[in-house]
Amino acid sequence: MNDSDRDIVDILAGLTLFGDLNRPQLEAVAHTFDEEWFSEGQRILRQGFTGTGFFVILEGEAAVRIDGVDRATLGKGDFFGEISILLGEPPVADIVALRPLRCLVLGGPDTEPFLNSYPRVMYRMLQAQARRLRNASQWRS
Amino acid sequence: MALSRQEKARLLGGVDLFLALGPRALATIARRATEVEFPAGRYIARQGEVGSGVFVIARGSARVVRGDEELTVFGPGDFFGELSVIDRAPRVASVVAAEPTLCLAIAAWDFLALLDENPKLMKAVLLEVVARLRATIEHIRH
Amino acid sequence: MTGSGDRPSARGDRLFPPGDYPLVVVGSGPGGLQVSYFLSRLGVDHAHISADPGPGGMFRRFPIFQRLLSWTRPYAPYERSTRYYESYDWNSLLADEPENRSLMPEIMDGVSEFPSRPEMERNLTLFAEKTGTAVRYGCRWTATRREGDRFVLETTDGEYRARHVVFAVGAAEPWKPATPGLELVPHYAETGPAQEYAGKRVFLVGKMNSGFELAEGFLPWARQIILCSPRDAKLSVVTRSLVGIRARYLQPYEDHALGGGIYILNAAIERIERHADGWRVFTRATLGGADLTFDVDVVIAATGFGSPLGDLAALGVATFNQGKLPVLTPFWESATVPGIYFAGTISQAMAGLKKHGVPSNSGAVQGSRYNARVLAEHVARTHYGWRAPRLRVAAKEVVPYLLSEATRAPELWHQRSYLARVLSFADREGVRDEGIWPLAHFVDAPGGEAVALTIEHTAEGEIRPAVYVRRGGKVEEHVMPSDPLLDFESAEHRKQLRGLLSGLKGVRAST
Repeated sequence: MNDSDRDIVDILAGLTLFGDLNRPQLEAVAHTFDEEWFSEGQRILRQGFTGTGFFVILEGEAAVRIDGVDRATLGKGDFFGEISILLGEPPVADIVALRPLRCLVLGGPDTEPFLNSYPRVMYRMLQAQARRLRNASQWRS
Repeated sequence: MALSRQEKARLLGGVDLFLALGPRALATIARRATEVEFPAGRYIARQGEVGSGVFVIARGSARVVRGDEELTVFGPGDFFGELSVIDRAPRVASVVAAEPTLCLAIAAWDFLALLDENPKLMKAVLLEVVARLRATIEHIRH
Repeated sequence: MTGSGDRPSARGDRLFPPGDYPLVVVGSGPGGLQVSYFLSRLGVDHAHISADPGPGGMFRRFPIFQRLLSWTRPYAPYERSTRYYESYDWNSLLADEPENRSLMPEIMDGVSEFPSRPEMERNLTLFAEKTGTAVRYGCRWTATRREGDRFVLETTDGEYRARHVVFAVGAAEPWKPATPGLELVPHYAETGPAQEYAGKRVFLVGKMNSGFELAEGFLPWARQIILCSPRDAKLSVVTRSLVGIRARYLQPYEDHALGGGIYILNAAIERIERHADGWRVFTRATLGGADLTFDVDVVIAATGFGSPLGDLAALGVATFNQGKLPVLTPFWESATVPGIYFAGTISQAMAGLKKHGVPSNSGAVQGSRYNARVLAEHVARTHYGWRAPRLRVAAKEVVPYLLSEATRAPELWHQRSYLARVLSFADREGVRDEGIWPLAHFVDAPGGEAVALTIEHTAEGEIRPAVYVRRGGKVEEHVMPSDPLLDFESAEHRKQLRGLLSGLKGVRAST
């Protein structure tokens, strides 16, 4: 018996995406997602491949790589994979672990039901997407 | 020329963002939306301001301007402002009436309340933002 | 490299005494037996040790209520002992010799398509005997260290030194989360016969298969049954995978839904207190956060299992899932300590592509037995100079062969999106059958022109072939149509596959 059980729930409690959830809900989230590790250099999402998943980074760093060029870096609290799920299209970028990456993962088909069950998480996701869009220099306000 | 409640609801029902909503939700939005008239040349929204609401153009047209550059023109049924309401960051462009223009305005707090009460609307906004993100990335690739 | 034909003639103290070996296999459940069998066939000299007194691994004790979740169909579209029969038999281990294959259906008594625990144990024992897979039993691995390029395994019989170790130690070590009071509560593994729970109010912590298995077993006996965990129960028929409550254990779920005195709760357990006349369980509901307290006679932690990884973490083996599983490469090698491999149910720690969240069957015998063969080949090829046959495939056979594999290859069927049939294409060598490889390796590996074929799920749960083509250093995925009868040899499939392969070296344009 060890304390790293609390560990995931504690990490989740500190992430903006889950910032509006109470403790039992955070535990439910920890039980809903699977934990996966990726070694440095490993690809997590592959440009053009089918197969969806929603990933939330707990530790480590990943690059968003498009056509071989690193466009962005993702770290603790960042998430990816949801755009492919929501739009029903394969990823347009590779996501590659730059350092050993610890993620929580939810399968594609489970992701929309999850967001529907936790509208506050959906809202936080919406906020993050709006910020991403703004950073991508869209002129729409 | 004021719009009737039904006319408002019909206009809102034609907006892409609200397509997923049923009649009751549309009526709620219609109730919370106020009509605002803008003469030609008047700023509907200003670059650098923190967004105060969502606007739907009912009649007329408006130019989207950043500095000296005109980016596009909005017409009836087009909407804007939702991103600013969500991330509360300053607008990156101004929206100026090109002719006498009637808008339906939904205040920021009303729009957030609508998102809270209508998961379908929240999902529609999420999909809209995500589709635009994907389009931006595609743009980078080519 | 010594010959693989030697079979030790006697068990007992003479077998695999402590000392130096090229490789050691630890564990004698299905994983250990399977990998050792293939290592021997491939000529890799190794010692095989196990803490248990005999073969069988977890099946010497579990499942508690004595019938497995994996089936073997005595009557199937293919003859027993053929390769294609394996798709209908989830329990027999693999063998090159027909007389050592499909042992499970011979043993089953016909009562059920699911073998009993004793039948499964017998299946594994018979495999070990018939194939001559010898093990030094009663030899418990206790500690591990490194000396130069060797691993040193301390055991109750002495020290073993080897360059490579395959740990097939299972995932049958009872595990409980750190909930206050849960340390006092018995684990699933300690559950007695169902009659002992007659008239009791039973609180089960955990809504996975072990919890439902107990609930189902207690139905005729317990006064009241409560199943509790933070999130919803997942049902296999809904997830269309083995992740979730299997149909056989659904009776408690139905009783709950129809109001039969079984309660299924989504709540987090805050703490558990022991009292003179029973237990008090404090929970907080996931939805709404209401506090719910229960006074019961029995609490059981059906909270799952971990792998007994011993001191491997201290050696540098990275772990995850609260230390329960090691972080692995696509070839089931520790990602942080090269030379340490894992076989059997632990191979599930290599998740593969896990498309749409559907895991492989690596946690069960029907998946891990293929992983063991691929692992043995990888170890033999990488470290012991074994050369794969790499049989030539005639250009006009490529398409029919791949589509036949898609339709009936058991490796691809049991390990979807996880194991793939790989063909290489070169000008001089022509088309070669490279065998079965982990897909996770192929999609990111460099190399010449090659094709990997798998069977995959769609997001909607349909099954279809997928072809990964490596050309010009890039791997592209192409999916092919699904079919309600899983026949992938149609004209449309042939046409699409021909199109995908055209232009690859060694393939004539006319095929």
